[in-house]
Amino acid sequence: MTDEFDDFLARTLGPAEREPDRAFVARVQSQIRLDEKLRAERRNMLSVLSIQVIGIAAIAAAIFCLLRAPEIASFAAESPAILLAALLAAFSFVVLLFSTAPSPKSSPPSISIA
Amino acid sequence: MAARNDEDLALSRRAAAGDSAAFAALVEKHERPLRAFLARMGAAEIADDIAQEAFLKAWRAAGQYDGIARYSTWLTSIAWRCRLDELRRRPRALLDQDADHAENHAGAEVRDMLDRLSENERASLVLCDGHGWTHHEAAELLGLPLGTLKSTVGRAKSKCRKMWSEAGND
Repeated sequence: MTDEFDDFLARTLGPAEREPDRAFVARVQSQIRLDEKLRAERRNMLSVLSIQVIGIAAIAAAIFCLLRAPEIASFAAESPAILLAALLAAFSFVVLLFSTAPSPKSSPPSISIA
Repeated sequence: MAARNDEDLALSRRAAAGDSAAFAALVEKHERPLRAFLARMGAAEIADDIAQEAFLKAWRAAGQYDGIARYSTWLTSIAWRCRLDELRRRPRALLDQDADHAENHAGAEVRDMLDRLSENERASLVLCDGHGWTHHEAAELLGLPLGTLKSTVGRAKSKCRKMWSEAGND
């Protein structure tokens, strides 16, 4: 009984003999290609984002330094509304500049499953 | 065995350097046992999804394969973690609902037996008695002490033998 049972287990639990499934291999390769493409997109987006963050930080630092200058500080104390308007205009310009800048390779990845 | 590891190690290193043809050779070589193991663990359709996910992770981590263990052991450990993640997302009952029952009488009989075993009993029995893994390899995969693994296999086997006898096979 034990021998028969062991044979039964080995026969039914082991992988069946067959040729490699090339369709499955193609599916995996296609998934890998898609994954690589998405990762490249992600890297690209991150680099664009970091450049934008550095740009905004540099502009913010420049504005901060300008505001600390005695002439501008006194002007700000006299007419804060004009200074605020100037800052808003500068901020709008920066937003406009970044939002219209074309990002390289911005086309969505094409999905193809073999 | 070492020669086989060397060959797989070379392919894996080439894959780590971005050679997708080398990785395709690894997939072609190892998809059959991996998918068979996963199919014995649950539904065939989900088994294929998990196998694909495992191969994708193996591609990303190709540089981490050091050739000490068999490539199939390394790959199956990735797939096992993928399966555990899948189990956390979807309970086992749901995974088994979609099971493909288009198999012969012996296949259906063994599936019925495996369904009544715990996850670890099922995996250890399939690997050790079906795929020829050593107890040590299976223990490492399942994260069990060697002694526990041996008793798990023994318990799984005796449960199956009892079911097999009750089904009138003795």
